[in-house]
Amino acid sequence: MNTQESVSKCMPDKISQPTSKQPSIWGLLRPYTFLIVLLVVLTIGANALNLAVPQIMARAIDTYAGGHFVLADLVLEFSLVALFIFLLTYAQNIVQVYASERVARDLRLDLSAKISVQPYEYIDRITPSKLLTNLTSDIDAVKSFVSQAIVALISSVFLIVGATVLLLLLDWRLGLAVLSIVPIIAVTFFYVLGRVRKLFTRSQEAIDWLNSVINESILGSALIRLLNSQQYEYQKFLAANTEARSIGMSILKLFSSLIPVITLCTNLATLVILALGGHFVIQGSMTLGDFTAFNSYLMILIFPILIIGFMSNVIAQATASYGRIALVLHAPDEKKTGSLKVELMGDIKVSDVTVLFGEKAALKDVSFEAKGGTKTAIIGPTAAGKTQLLYLLTGLLAPTSGTIEFDGRDINEYDKESLHHQIGFVFQDSVLFNLSLRENIAFSNTVKDADIDLAIRTAELDDFIDTLPQGLDTIVSERGTSLSGGQKQRIMLARALALSPKILLLDEFTARVDTKTERTIFENIFKNYPGITLVSVTQKIATVEAYDQIILLMEGEVLARGTHEELMKTSPEYVQIFESQRSTNQYELQT
Amino acid sequence: MCKFSNPNGAPINMNYRLKKADAAQEREKSVLGTAVRRLLPLMKEEKRAVAIALVAIFITSATTLIAPVIIAHTIDTYIQNKIFSGVVEFSLLLLFIYIVGAISNYIQVRTMGAVGRRVLFNLRNSIFNKLESLPVAFFNQNKAGDLISRINNDTDKLNQFFSQALMQFASNLVLIVGAGVFLLVINWRLGAASLVPAAIVLIMTQLLSPWVKRTNLASLRTLGGMSGEIQESLNNFKVIVAFNRLDYFRDKFKESNAANYAASIKAGIANNTFTPIYTLASTIGQLIVLAYGIYLVSAGSFTIGLLIGFILYVNNFYNPLRQLASVWSSLQLALAGLDRISEVLALESDMTVATDETRDRPGDDSILTFDHVSFGYPDAGIDVLHDISFTLAKGKTYALVGPTGGGKTTTASLMARLYDPTKGMVYLAGRDIRSYDPKERSNKIGFILQEPFLFSGTVRENILYGNDEYASYTTEEVAALLERANLASLLSRFSEGLETKVTSSNDAISLGQKQLIAFMRAVLRKPDILILDEATANIDTVTEQLLDDILKKLPASTTRVIIAHRLNTIENADEIYFVNAGTVTQAGTMEHAVDMLLHGKRAS
Repeated sequence: MNTQESVSKCMPDKISQPTSKQPSIWGLLRPYTFLIVLLVVLTIGANALNLAVPQIMARAIDTYAGGHFVLADLVLEFSLVALFIFLLTYAQNIVQVYASERVARDLRLDLSAKISVQPYEYIDRITPSKLLTNLTSDIDAVKSFVSQAIVALISSVFLIVGATVLLLLLDWRLGLAVLSIVPIIAVTFFYVLGRVRKLFTRSQEAIDWLNSVINESILGSALIRLLNSQQYEYQKFLAANTEARSIGMSILKLFSSLIPVITLCTNLATLVILALGGHFVIQGSMTLGDFTAFNSYLMILIFPILIIGFMSNVIAQATASYGRIALVLHAPDEKKTGSLKVELMGDIKVSDVTVLFGEKAALKDVSFEAKGGTKTAIIGPTAAGKTQLLYLLTGLLAPTSGTIEFDGRDINEYDKESLHHQIGFVFQDSVLFNLSLRENIAFSNTVKDADIDLAIRTAELDDFIDTLPQGLDTIVSERGTSLSGGQKQRIMLARALALSPKILLLDEFTARVDTKTERTIFENIFKNYPGITLVSVTQKIATVEAYDQIILLMEGEVLARGTHEELMKTSPEYVQIFESQRSTNQYELQT
Repeated sequence: MCKFSNPNGAPINMNYRLKKADAAQEREKSVLGTAVRRLLPLMKEEKRAVAIALVAIFITSATTLIAPVIIAHTIDTYIQNKIFSGVVEFSLLLLFIYIVGAISNYIQVRTMGAVGRRVLFNLRNSIFNKLESLPVAFFNQNKAGDLISRINNDTDKLNQFFSQALMQFASNLVLIVGAGVFLLVINWRLGAASLVPAAIVLIMTQLLSPWVKRTNLASLRTLGGMSGEIQESLNNFKVIVAFNRLDYFRDKFKESNAANYAASIKAGIANNTFTPIYTLASTIGQLIVLAYGIYLVSAGSFTIGLLIGFILYVNNFYNPLRQLASVWSSLQLALAGLDRISEVLALESDMTVATDETRDRPGDDSILTFDHVSFGYPDAGIDVLHDISFTLAKGKTYALVGPTGGGKTTTASLMARLYDPTKGMVYLAGRDIRSYDPKERSNKIGFILQEPFLFSGTVRENILYGNDEYASYTTEEVAALLERANLASLLSRFSEGLETKVTSSNDAISLGQKQLIAFMRAVLRKPDILILDEATANIDTVTEQLLDDILKKLPASTTRVIIAHRLNTIENADEIYFVNAGTVTQAGTMEHAVDMLLHGKRAS
């Protein structure tokens, strides 16, 4: 079969992806080699010039003592050096800012690009709260690494190597004695860093937790105020915040001992020189001059070690954060979709579809067919799997087994984009974005005004929009709180219709719209979008009595299928539902 | 943002939109004094810790300064004179000093780090507490992502300042002042000359700081904006996927990412202006000392040896000054973060408990009365409800019907005091609804919202959410409780009963199931008034009949207010109100109501 071939073709490159290797944060810098090299050159340049200042001063004093001192020369030379130091430092700082901000920006783009090709199920599982931390706090940690740690580390390593060589050349015995502290420092480092990286990962997880508590307390703000449960929410927040604090304290405990230990070690090196070197000088195997020089080189050695100590905090945090980011970046890609881009006729065929959530089956061996241009209703009790069935038809959910076909070809053969353009889906919960009404409906810059207009008129929104001072340009708030439930639902419908879809999927669209409006809207749909294939999940039998078929779904299984008349004869469950709505029908038949 | 009162005493709705800090605030001079004034209150509780840290700093600095003196003394006195025992003695002394230094260093880092952590902890708590004290209107006007950013990111800027920068700030300040005094004492003319560049730097810092803070504020703001964008897209991911608008949202993200990039670059450059300038000042300071010093020497009032020493001391002055530069920008960043935090903390709820017995109506035995109530959402400009009056009696069932957008939900929200009316009064059991303590009010009113919300946890936790009475019940006790309340049959809709796991975003729980949970939650609270706002719209009609039975079995004194489109849900109502275009009219009979519904003009 075609489908299986196309699926199996893209399998190999998915499997061969290396995911197990711990990604190195240094690898992240490869694309920015130029900026980093520039940064290092500027830093070394500025430092070198800074070292020149004492020499100029020394020379000035010497020349003055020698009697041929010219003030103008000194001022000129000194000013030039000062100016260059200023320029180099400034340039270094600017390059540093650019490098770190670019790394952050690009990493965010990569991450968002990766997230945007993930299936809906992935986002649901990873949770938006964690992804938000990834995109903000984690990337911030990586940014600090670039802006602070790189320059410090590279110049420190430079100085350490240089000073070590000089020490060994000067007196190898003393040199070795001093260098014996290096392993102690190294072991302390690795011990602390190894433990602290785990802590940093946990600390970012605490931030995820904080995010989700805040997020829920905002989304549920009305409920919280109704139930007066602010105190309870505060307790939840306090638990997350306390966890964050205690992890922070543990990190602090490790780091507050790291720095004194390193300082003490380097100081011990000074001590060794004083005692051992003093011994050598007294013995006569070392000159006092060498001894003094040795001391000053040691000072050069100590400073970068201390810097690395300070930077290890930044590095550990960045490594932990980058590890979290890399997990998302290296998540396997979603199965590639097919490439078929054709206009749909609207035939739908679902064969033996089963969907498992863990052990539990949400749908069991569901099969049905709907010809293009027909109307299908799905009816059934709460939690029967009705919404999941619609999710399958849009590809939001993949079946555990079984197939879904449009116009006789498997859903996986189609180019996803082209498919989504032809299937309009009205979700049962209203989702609005903090955008203008026009953008909420068109949801893109490419939809034509005429299409929007038709969609709005079909959804009976035109009267409402006319009452708004800014009309279609009115900005809707994030949770659409100043709109009524019915208005939101109709905006959702207009959004689906603006695509001029071939197939329209409605999930309990009628739940929040009054009967009269509902009736007008359906008349509009069939008039303005002739030939549309309709699949409607609903509770109201009255609306769907005339549909081509009604599917009765219970506990994930198709219990009965047929027209209203057929089901009234064959399905006792259907009759029961019908009976439960009888009184309503009586009123609605009045018109 | 101030409150006005209208003649009826009801406050006009407050605007809760978190605005950009106004221009006046941005122009405020961010000098040290202001900074100290703003940051000190955060450390009220930390006086002891800060004092300990300051002592530790003093000891650490002292050991750092003494060590070279001891080394020099050992070399001069013992090594040059070849007395090894002296070398050993002083080495031991040095070891002791180093260990003391290490300990005090540890105490300093640990104490100050803990101060930073605690400030962060307390700040986060107080912002969250503030959020919880604000009414629903606040959340309608602000993006979740931006609020999260304020609680998580902005507070962390303050933590970083307190745990890292503040110590450097303090120790460098001590060193600078010490070195400065020393310079002036050695030679006041040369000293004064060498301090001139520092004075210039000080003035420049004064001038630059507001700019630096402003750019940092802008950068934090774009971070908040981006976080809002991310949060919105991710929370609604299914819609974006189903409508294939990933490209559109990627573009929107790109836009806010680019805005954040641009603002961060500006802030980064501003933050990094101090270091080069301070470095320049220090170089110029040395030049001045050198040139002026040589002049003084040639004039005979100074010696070369003293000059060399003086130059070294000048370094002691300018080195810490240079370090102060980076600390200073971190202070500006912290202040910018504090600005954004203060914007939230400064908000006050306008829905306070207002006791005014003169407004009570003692003879009134109705449960709820609307007296000439009008209401409009802030920012919308138009009234949603116009001059509404009606009375609900105890134990009756009322239905609110009407076309979408007619004002039914708004009416119900005013009954539960989610908002205060802009005009008129709402009375709950004969008392001004605003005079009730929130706890008392929420015990009287049960409101099942149109859009049910679940907290991450289990079905049991969600059913008992906010219920003090049964909070400690075990699963078995809850099951028995539900049995007594006739609610047990509803649990069969959940695969694992009470222990079924739910999350706020997950779609494994259907809307109908969420409505069932909300229903159970409200009924268990045994309210005097139970408001159902299309609360069963997504529940199948067979289960709905069960719910009807449960409602009928509620205590006789319970008043029910039902908002619905489905006519069968309202046919048992004692009275039907028709809500349309912001007015509420009483419909005589069911037929009358149906007639109005089917033939009346929809107002929106």
